[in-house]
This record gives sequence, C-alpha cells and structure tokens, in this order.
Amino acid sequence: MGELGALYAMWYRQVKRFYRMRSRVAASIIQPIVWMAFFGIGMSSALGRAGFFASSGVSYMLFMVPGVVMMAVFFTSFMSGIAVIWDREFGFLKRVLVAPVSRASTLLGRVFGDATMATIQGMVVLAIAYLMTPLPSLNAACIAVVLVSFILAVALTSLGTAIACNMRSMEGFGLVNTLVSMPLLFLSSAFYPLSTMPLWMRNAASINPLTQAVELARALLLGSSDLPILYSAVTLLLWAVGLMGVAVWMFSRVTVEA
Amino acid sequence: MLTTLLRPTEGRAWVAGYDVVEQPHQVRKRIGVVFQDVALDRELTGFENLWIYGMIQGVGERELREKVPKLLDFVGLSRWADTQVKRYSGGMMRRLEIAQIMVHSPEIIFLDEPTLGLDPQTRVHVWDYIKELRSEFGTTVFLTTHYMEEAEKLCDRVAIIDHGKIIAIGTPEELVSKLEGEVVYVRFEQSLEKVALKRVEELSYVLGVKVVEGNKVAVSVRRASEAIPEIINVCSKAGARVAEVTYHRPSLEDVFISLTGRGLRDEEWDWVSHMRLSRARRMR
Repeated sequence: MGELGALYAMWYRQVKRFYRMRSRVAASIIQPIVWMAFFGIGMSSALGRAGFFASSGVSYMLFMVPGVVMMAVFFTSFMSGIAVIWDREFGFLKRVLVAPVSRASTLLGRVFGDATMATIQGMVVLAIAYLMTPLPSLNAACIAVVLVSFILAVALTSLGTAIACNMRSMEGFGLVNTLVSMPLLFLSSAFYPLSTMPLWMRNAASINPLTQAVELARALLLGSSDLPILYSAVTLLLWAVGLMGVAVWMFSRVTVEA
Repeated sequence: MLTTLLRPTEGRAWVAGYDVVEQPHQVRKRIGVVFQDVALDRELTGFENLWIYGMIQGVGERELREKVPKLLDFVGLSRWADTQVKRYSGGMMRRLEIAQIMVHSPEIIFLDEPTLGLDPQTRVHVWDYIKELRSEFGTTVFLTTHYMEEAEKLCDRVAIIDHGKIIAIGTPEELVSKLEGEVVYVRFEQSLEKVALKRVEELSYVLGVKVVEGNKVAVSVRRASEAIPEIINVCSKAGARVAEVTYHRPSLEDVFISLTGRGLRDEEWDWVSHMRLSRARRMR
C-alpha cells in the first residue's frame, strides 16, 4: 500500500467522480458529434471537390475523425484540472494534504484517473465517428490510438492541473481554458492539414502536442501523416513527462488555509 | 500547525511523540482531522468516502472491508452508505466525517468547531459521538470551539486562547473556580433596606454591593453557596424582608468573558474568514 495505494485511491476517486457527472460525460461526447455533423459536413461541402482533399483521396470527414477524437481527449483532460479548484473549495484538498503520503503520488493518481476517463471518452467518440464515417481499415494498429490518447490526456491533464494549482476561482480557470485551448486547437492539424499551412504556422503547429497526437492517430487510422511518426511519438511523450513534472512541482507548493 | 497543514514560523511542536516539521508523515499517520468546513467528496457515496480515505491513509483492503461498515454503523449512517454525500444533511456529513477520520485508528483526533452551524439536536448527537469515541476507542480528542457549553460538556482540560496566546488552562471546574467571586442578586420586598445593606456589606466574604434597579441589589461574594444563607440571615435580623435571592452558577462562558473582555472584536474580523464562514453556511 503506502504511496501506490494512495495513487490508486486517487485514480479510483477521479474515475468514480467522472461517472457520477453524467451531464459532463454527455456534453463532452455530444460536442464532438456536433463538430462532426455540422462543421464536418459544412467544411467538406465547401472543400470536398477542390484543393487538397480532392487530390489526397481522403474525404474531409475522414480526415477530420482523428482530429475530432483528439480534440475530445484534449478538452476533457485539460478541463479536468478544474477538479483541484473544486477540491480546494469543498475542502477535500485539505483531506488529501494531511494524508501520510507524498503529494506527488496523490497528484499522479489524480492525473492518471482523469487521463483514463478522457481516453475512454475519446474512444467513445471514435466509435461514434466510425458509425458516421466508416474508416477504411480497422486493424490491430488502431489499438495504439488508445495509447496515443492516453499520453495526450496525461500531458493536458497535467497542464490543466498545474494551472489550477495557482488559481482560486473556477471562473478564472474557465477563462484560462478558453484562452489556452482555443489557440492550441486552431494552431493544430485537427481540422486542416499541416502541409497546406504557411511555413511559420506549420512549424508552430508541429510543436503543439495536439498536432502530434492527431498526426499519430492519422497515421494509425488513415495510414498517412504529415509528420514523421517517430518525431510525433517522442515529442508527445516528452510533453507528457515534462508537464507531469510541472504539475507535481506546482502541486507541491499548493497551500490551503486551515 | 499541529495537523502539519501549516509550517510554524518559529518554535517546535510534537504530536504523538513526533516532530510536526521533521516527521510530518509520522504525525499524519497518527492523527485524524475534522476541519471546520466539511471536507468530503460530495459526488461520492458515504461508503466510498471512507474507503478512499482509508486507502490514502494506507489501510489495507481487508481491514477496510471490516472497518468501514462498522464505522458507518457507529455513526448511524449504514442506511445511507450508498447515497451520494451531496444528498446528506449537515449533521449527517459531520457524522460521516467523524467516522471517516477513525478509519485509520488515529491516536489523536482534531476537531475544529465540530458543531458550528448545526441545529441543537444534531449538536447533541455529535457530542454523544465524540464522547463515545473517547470511551470506545480510547482516542484523545482535541477540539476547538466558540461554544463554552461545548467545552464544558466535553472536555477534560480546557485552554482559553486570546490573541494567539493561552491565557488560562485547566479543567472546566478549575477555570470556573478561578473567577474572582460570584454574584448573588437580592430583591427586597419593599424599598431598599439601607440598614440591612450596611450589615451585608460588613460581612467578611462580601466583596461589594451594588444597586441594580429599584429594590434589587447585586452582592459580589467569594462563594455564593455559603453566602446566601448568611445574607438572608443578616437581612432578617436587621428587620428587612427579602423577596427573592437569585444566583446563577458561573459557567465557562463567564470565565471566558471575564478573561477576554466583552468588546466586539472588529480587528479580528477579517474578510477571508468571513468568506469562509458564509460559505460554510451556504453549504449546509
């Protein structure tokens, strides 16, 4: 038990909590479907017969599936950082801080728990997307998408948690959320290919963990990617480990008034 | 500070034999804390709250399986074990918290104003649980409170803290007996009997006599129980007829007021604790 027990306990808690928040589960699954249905159909009607998508042989809807899945993972995991503020507000944080275990293990339990749920959610979205636009080939490699989602989720949960450690109000976090996640979403290859972006944008987007996850998912699901798989995998992993480190450090400095 | 949440700016403290700064984990293993604000996970059920807290505290699964239902039973929440905590009442949450912090069998539990904002019945219930905790588990209970009644009923030893300093410490009885003198109110049947009052004033253990209103006087004495018969005796000898003698046993409340003064403490009313208080109320 000890540290690992605490890590497991926090993981268990985050998972349980997530299930209980039905509205949150519903919203985060419906949102990507709406993207697919409206944004996807709108965009593919506009672009379908022209430019990039005409020549590549992949329809816009198909192209978008990995983007929407990773977007769902991205939003859910980043938003889950808010739990720290929530716990502070409702006193649960104090309970955890007076436990005889290191803060790192409770924090990592929290991060892995939220990341697990974000991943499951991403897979649900993938399944629904599959129903809307069947993917060309479903093979064993697709399993690796689960892993990619999880790594992205760990990175973003860590980022969200690290930010939340320094904030007191949920409204403030909501603001930061929009401020951070929107640019990251539009500066990624979730909805348009890297290869058609201007060079500066392509370079910026390549650093973005969301791009890396989307490109990996595209390679796995559609068999094509604008970034080398090794590059995407390594940088995404580095993001996850680095941000986890930042989150652990931020959480170690959290104080609560008694 | 004793619960290792805050670091002392200076000095040292030991809880259950361990230094709070150097061995916080050892301290945390041995204590349980109920905070002023409810610190439960509202989305989880009562059972889950106990279970997860136990796991974080390092209690093994087999032990938890045995203990959790027992503790829920102890605080009378077995029926609501699988109900989400957000549907609990304030009193139920408090009871659940008491059960929760007993999961890892702490040697010492800290209760920070455990009955703040509870209705009188629930308060009495919580008191009963606290008393039972002591007798059944042999746990040392350390509690802070603003209700002197609570301190008087529950505590073996009481320390009164004013502006961060302990100004009195002892058993409730000791503290009460430290009060210089007690007050007996005497009401005469007709007008004030000057002669009788003079006699009363002359009694050796009478510290002073003050007219309160009309024909009522307040007599400060050392020990009321001995003084009352004497006062009546002296008065009737002087020919005065006493209509009523009243006296109330001084309580910790009187001790507290006499030690800390009566004025409202505006300087201590800071905005943060006000916020916390109003939040606590909203939550219940």
